[in-house]
Amino acid sequence: MSVLARPAFTPGWSKAFGTNGALAAGSAILALFVLAALFAPLIAPYDPIAQDAAARLAAPSLLHPFGTDNFGRDILSRVIWGTRIDLQMAFFGVVFPFLIGTVVGTVAGFFGGVVDALLMRLIDIILAFPFLVLMLSIIAILGPGLSSFYIAMALVGWVSYARLVRAQILVLKTQDYAVAATSLGFGRLRIMFRHLLPNAIAGSVVFVMSDAVLVLLNGAAISYLGLGVQPPVAEWGVMVAEGQPFVTTAWWVTLFPGLSIVALAFGFSLLGDGLGQRLGVAE
Amino acid sequence: MLKQWMRIGLVTVMTGLSVSAGIAEAAGVLTIGRREDSTTFDPIKTAQNIDNWVFSNIFDVLVRVDPTGTKLVPGLAESWTVSEDGLTYTLKMRDAKFSDGAPVTAGDAAFSLLRVRDNPGSLWSDSYKVIDTATASDDKTLVVKLKTPSAPFLSTLALPNVSVLPQKVLESVGEEAFAEAPVGSGAFALKEWRRGDRVILEKNPNYWDADHVSLDGVEWISVPDDNTRMLNVQAGQLDAAIFVPFSRVAELQKDANLTVHLDPSTREDHLLINHEHGALAKKEVRQALDMAIDKQAVVDTVTFGLGTVANSYIPKGALYYYADNLKRPYDPEKAKQMLADAGASDLTLNYVVRAGDEVVEQTAVLLQQQLAKAGVTVNIQKVDPSQEWDMLVAGDYDVGVNYWTNDILDPDQKTTFVIGHDANNNYMTRYKNDAVKDLVAKARLEMDPAKREAMYVDLQRMAKEDVNWIDLYYSPYINVSRKGIENFTQNPLGRFLLEDTKKN
Repeated sequence: MSVLARPAFTPGWSKAFGTNGALAAGSAILALFVLAALFAPLIAPYDPIAQDAAARLAAPSLLHPFGTDNFGRDILSRVIWGTRIDLQMAFFGVVFPFLIGTVVGTVAGFFGGVVDALLMRLIDIILAFPFLVLMLSIIAILGPGLSSFYIAMALVGWVSYARLVRAQILVLKTQDYAVAATSLGFGRLRIMFRHLLPNAIAGSVVFVMSDAVLVLLNGAAISYLGLGVQPPVAEWGVMVAEGQPFVTTAWWVTLFPGLSIVALAFGFSLLGDGLGQRLGVAE
Repeated sequence: MLKQWMRIGLVTVMTGLSVSAGIAEAAGVLTIGRREDSTTFDPIKTAQNIDNWVFSNIFDVLVRVDPTGTKLVPGLAESWTVSEDGLTYTLKMRDAKFSDGAPVTAGDAAFSLLRVRDNPGSLWSDSYKVIDTATASDDKTLVVKLKTPSAPFLSTLALPNVSVLPQKVLESVGEEAFAEAPVGSGAFALKEWRRGDRVILEKNPNYWDADHVSLDGVEWISVPDDNTRMLNVQAGQLDAAIFVPFSRVAELQKDANLTVHLDPSTREDHLLINHEHGALAKKEVRQALDMAIDKQAVVDTVTFGLGTVANSYIPKGALYYYADNLKRPYDPEKAKQMLADAGASDLTLNYVVRAGDEVVEQTAVLLQQQLAKAGVTVNIQKVDPSQEWDMLVAGDYDVGVNYWTNDILDPDQKTTFVIGHDANNNYMTRYKNDAVKDLVAKARLEMDPAKREAMYVDLQRMAKEDVNWIDLYYSPYINVSRKGIENFTQNPLGRFLLEDTKKN
């Protein structure tokens, strides 16, 4: 056993990830998908929307590693291009709720009283509706498409973040440093966003990762229902939906996009776990 | 001890007997899987195949369409005569009974005809406005007087929606109760309707031709998912299933336990065009779109080769179908040129698609790609089915795929709906051509079949020239049944001939 050999690796790799396998694996999976999305035009062997009548429903082969769909479109290329849309969905579907929820939660927690009561009742009202139903009705009003999906997510998804942050702020604002800042006469905005928020945000950041999984699945579900991405754009949820009629005859049409959804969701969830450990956030 | 064993033995034997009795009884019941459940059993208040296809075996009509879907044969009326001037129809009623044992009278028939014409809830009143009076001169004789002569009138009597209903029962229980628990004179009677699940029919012993009927009953079971429904038939949990997707036919045909039925239908799929939207008002633009669409590719990709390219709005094999009608060749280059000549070289179309319908979605993706080759940009807009219908009715679309199956033998009904300028904006297309409109009206009055056929040939030519819509393909009704089920057939108008079906 060479005890001395270990410290040599410490600085780079180990500093970031330590013994945190989940964080490393999650980041690796995510990085892989981000690279695929960035370099889609270079990696994808075919045009994702080009139809080829001669190669309809072709089984996986060297020519088409993931096979082709009922229009003869190459599934590998569609999966790669789909990465762009799905990552984009996961990002925008999380970032707006995160921003809105954090601000609302901070304000509610900090001011308390009537402001808090009003905001919390609003959250209760939104939570009283089933999440998917509310989202579907918003999209139905705005019309199908990705931007409607982001707006719906922003309108509905922020409540969880607001609750998380508010709970933290409630605890933190009674801490000595917060009381000290108030007695020193700092402005409310400064206390809220410079002193309290950075200490309250860790839980939300971890939650972002598990929320990204939900958003991804929601986005896939919305597209599956025909309310998200419109054809012929490649998106994993749409691809699963389009392959459903052939599930007993051409399994590859649904399998590969389905696996991609699972893999990306798995990556996010590992990353969430890893971040949780690293930032010392309890489950 | 011995007694105990004997008792157990006896119980075993008894159980065995009752189980086998149960199987023997069930053997005569045909189970059919379909996509949706019925919505009503009041025939005048629905225009949906899912309703008509079930109650056409519960109710009977005055005149029937034969299994080939080409001629009229006696139903509850065993014979009929038409007066010289074509205004008076005298129908002689057959000795028949409703499932409750009451006789079917000419009075019931007159009541049913006037009800479909006058009832405010009737969806079919327009087709029967031509009736002036309907009276029973005696229990067996129905006299119908028309306001004007009408060539298609007799064939409209075969529509399942004007089935003969028992006046007494309907008036005593009320319309709403009747729609849940109907009484008819067809081969089967409704035993139970488990809403959202199944419709259970039993053989009607009072049916006039009951000796002919082999099945003890029929169960229409709703299994919405196509894959599940097919698996149920493959596993033997269902005797038959309807609405087999094109994509599954080849696979099911390989299964030795199954028979796939490709019954000739009157279904025609077409691309609706909104004539009121910009460049689509120009005939040349619509003709260019017709040329930019490769219908054979649609047949190959979407119907897996089971359909045939359509060249007329009248379905192949139907009365007065004009086989030599123009088929514009697929030529995207020429289409592009024609669009440029018409000043529409940067045409962008909003294509409304019914979400969740596999065939419609696939057609949209294919047409989008084909039209792109002629320089036309197509934006696909997937919407909920009910919303799609509202958008089409409101004219809030450029193009969209739809289909039509004929309800009656005569082409007049579809022709009136599609190019005859009636209340529905020519089936949502907003197509306008007064010469066509006048000819449709004239053809309805023409009693000489040869002259009438010539008029319909002209109509099909004119519609093709104007491109009222783009004819895509004709396709069969596709059903599947287990081996051992005989004569499970559907006529071209959609009626299942279950009175002839046998289960071995």
